[in-house]
Amino acid sequence: MRLEPVGANVTLDEAGVSLGGLVVLRGISLSIGPAEVLGIAGPNGSGKTTLLRLLATLARPDQGSGRVLGATLGTAEVYAIRHDIGLIGHVPALIQELTLRENLQHAARLAGEDVSRIDRALRVVGLEAAADRKVGQSSHGMLRRAETARLLLTRPRLLLLDEAFSGLDISARELIDTLVERSVSAGGSVVMVSHDATQLASRADRIMHIASGRIEAAA
Amino acid sequence: MRTTRILMVIAAISLGAGLYLTFTSPTDRLQGEFTRIVNIHAPSMWVAFLAFGVTALASIMWLIFKRTAWDRLAEASVETGVIFTATGLFTGMVWGQAVWGRAWDWADPRMASTAVMFFVYIGYLALRKAIPDPIMRARRSAILGAIAVIQVPLVYFSVNLFRSLHQTQSIRPDGATMPDAMVVALLVNFVAFTLLYVALTAARIQVAKAEEERAAETVPAGDAVTTPMLSEVEDV
Amino acid sequence: MSFWDQAVEIARVDLQVERRIGDVLRIILPFAVVALLVFPLALGIDLAAITRIGPAVFWAIGVLFGMQVALRQAADDRPERRDLYALLGVDPAARFVGRSMSGSLLMLGFLLALMVATLLLYSPRLPEGWPIPAAAAILLTSIGLTELGTLAGEVTAGLRNRTALASLIVAPLAIPLVLGGAQTLESLARDTGILPWLLLLFATDLALAVAGVGLARPIEEASR
Repeated sequence: MRLEPVGANVTLDEAGVSLGGLVVLRGISLSIGPAEVLGIAGPNGSGKTTLLRLLATLARPDQGSGRVLGATLGTAEVYAIRHDIGLIGHVPALIQELTLRENLQHAARLAGEDVSRIDRALRVVGLEAAADRKVGQSSHGMLRRAETARLLLTRPRLLLLDEAFSGLDISARELIDTLVERSVSAGGSVVMVSHDATQLASRADRIMHIASGRIEAAA
Repeated sequence: MRTTRILMVIAAISLGAGLYLTFTSPTDRLQGEFTRIVNIHAPSMWVAFLAFGVTALASIMWLIFKRTAWDRLAEASVETGVIFTATGLFTGMVWGQAVWGRAWDWADPRMASTAVMFFVYIGYLALRKAIPDPIMRARRSAILGAIAVIQVPLVYFSVNLFRSLHQTQSIRPDGATMPDAMVVALLVNFVAFTLLYVALTAARIQVAKAEEERAAETVPAGDAVTTPMLSEVEDV
Repeated sequence: MSFWDQAVEIARVDLQVERRIGDVLRIILPFAVVALLVFPLALGIDLAAITRIGPAVFWAIGVLFGMQVALRQAADDRPERRDLYALLGVDPAARFVGRSMSGSLLMLGFLLALMVATLLLYSPRLPEGWPIPAAAAILLTSIGLTELGTLAGEVTAGLRNRTALASLIVAPLAIPLVLGGAQTLESLARDTGILPWLLLLFATDLALAVAGVGLARPIEEASR
């Protein structure tokens, strides 16, 4: 069953999150429409990653409310839409003991995607020659490319990027830009966070600044 | 490479001779055909001790000189030693089951202490497997190899002491007085097993070298990445 | 992808990772056999006693070290992997079932190898016709112990001292499994009927399976 969003893909209404007894986010309200790229800038420790995890349904709001792709956050509805969310986090979500190719195969099978598309995805991200390396023997850039290949395969409607451009060379950055463009042209929403607003300036339709868990200004 | 092959051939020939003598020598009246197992059991145990002794020596040499060759020797020798210990324990158990009706002879302390030694080196191999970095692996396993050689005699001593307090009668495949032909067969097998140890260890060192060379040939992380084919994104 | 396909895929990769790390074969099994060796040394040479305690030592060591099998490194989902599974739309219950399948297979292999070691080291006196009831008891215990370990592993995911903590949680809860396993052969020897004990094992497995599937979502959310 797929729950269709009404208007916006994502809405948050005065949402707050506490972790380990500390208030990390408070009074966050925002709305992201289809085919929109939202940039969120803020210093370290301002709550950017937690906000992204809240949008990914991986953190639950303990104040306020929110809806992502039609599912109310903090309820069992999120299980039905999680497969439509793609996340590139700080730490690559790859299994250390498997090769890059095996990781993609595992993800594709679990997501019910066609495994035969993997070779093409590997070529597109420039990992054809490195596909049979184990994760532990791969560089940061290779792991980012592998994650990009996974998102090319699963085509999420909500794409969440956490400092995804950091430490990458130009071609890898272009690759992620292409992933964002494809997502937008399919009517998806993209949220990218960074401590560096200049990274977001050319990429986002709108930039929000966050500090101490609160939205400071929207541009 | 060539030396290893020659060693293998010599070991194979002497093993053939040992095997021939094993099956042609006379048997003990009480234990019958099972006497013959001593020709595998005793040389296996000897080689096990030899192998672990070599490991200890190689470990200490690595700690002093930090040369990769010592680490390779330590590793190869442990692997060979573990195989021969397993063979020794297995033949001991077969003998025990056949002659005594119990596979494990608790009255013989050597059996228990050999098993403990076996697991010490199984642990050594597990430690090696757990450390990906070659230098860190060499250092830590050299330390363990050196600790083991100090501790293993103490294990033997403690188990022997334990046994002397629980004196019981026991016949083992080795030790009894033997006819000359049996002694000759046993000696030939000792030589053959020792040669086999040398050949297997040399071959294992070759494998380790080849693995290192292969690892060095792998393209550096950065070079394995090619330019993304952005125009093909829609085809995925 | 259906529930079962997801479970099977998770079990497959779990076994593949285990084959590469080799925790069970390289570390846990040798450790357990050393424990088997230590008992008679602590007891003193009394062959009658060694023969008698064999099966009891097997079950005690099997359950305690079996916990390590259930909590092995390969079964430890790091946070980013849990997130990945969540966002790939993996049903948390399928994850539990997959983990239980691969874990039970490893546990079964572990307990069978330990049984062979016990037979060799202790020469226990076994009742006639023991292999089939023993195999059934070991199979059912493997499943139950894995389910229990998987659940405890989830509850303690990402915590410091995870292995020791999870073992503490599981050991007392594993009593029905120890009793069921040990008493199956004991009842066979005394000819008092093994069925109640096998049923106890089966009921425990079933109850844990229901708990694991039923609680999969709360457990999945508990780590967030």
